[in-house]
Amino acid sequence: MIIQIILLVGLVIFAGLAILAKDLLKAALSLAVASLFLGIIFFRLSAPYAGVFEISVVAGLITVLFALTISLTRKNDQVQEARLVKIAFPLFFILFLIIDGLVMKSLLLKVPALPAGPEAGTFGQVLWKQRTFDLIAQIGVILAGVLAVLALFRKKEEDKDE
Amino acid sequence: MSNLWFLYLFFSALLIFIGIYCLLTMRNLIKLFIAIEIISKGVSLALVATGAVQHTILLAQSLVITYIVVEVSLVATALALIINIYKKNKSLDVRLLSKLKG
Repeated sequence: MIIQIILLVGLVIFAGLAILAKDLLKAALSLAVASLFLGIIFFRLSAPYAGVFEISVVAGLITVLFALTISLTRKNDQVQEARLVKIAFPLFFILFLIIDGLVMKSLLLKVPALPAGPEAGTFGQVLWKQRTFDLIAQIGVILAGVLAVLALFRKKEEDKDE
Repeated sequence: MSNLWFLYLFFSALLIFIGIYCLLTMRNLIKLFIAIEIISKGVSLALVATGAVQHTILLAQSLVITYIVVEVSLVATALALIINIYKKNKSLDVRLLSKLKG
């Protein structure tokens, strides 16, 4: 229980650092550390496959993509943020913390447990047999992403030809 | 166990709050995208925690894996868009995008 709370607090702290850090690369690295914490939480919740995906894909691949984009857009990336944003963040955060705590405390006994029987089979059976349509949708989404990226960069090559 | 579930939902709501605050206040396009990532972390935490409590962790895992695949596809497309916007505007300021030129 205590380890879970430490991991959750670490996750929130690094997520906060990711939005407050002035340097974009530090923000992306904080996001990666937050993903790492989330992956460990998934492992502890006995969801190892989700944990592996979270750590390898989100903490690894997405961080690389962010670092690449930051390095490509680094020359004039000085965007002036409003001064009040960082000053007001702790205030709003504490306010939301209190509201969140009160809401969760009042909901604690009111939300009825959803009827759900224990699952049978293995993860492979659930993923490949029960959620087959999800896999087809995943293939579609990946193809759409690849085509979108190709289309976005092809335009530049056409411009050069002209 | 239900106390633990509310603890996870509490932290998940905190993550979503941090993301929404950043989306509403920041001007850097990459920062806005980091905010979307933080919101998605909150959602996947809520999914897995609910699965663990309801003893449907296998289903929750498969949903989270689908979610992560969608997220990666979204990130790749959006970062390519951001690079294109930067090449055109020479800035990552989101306010410049509101000035449409027909």
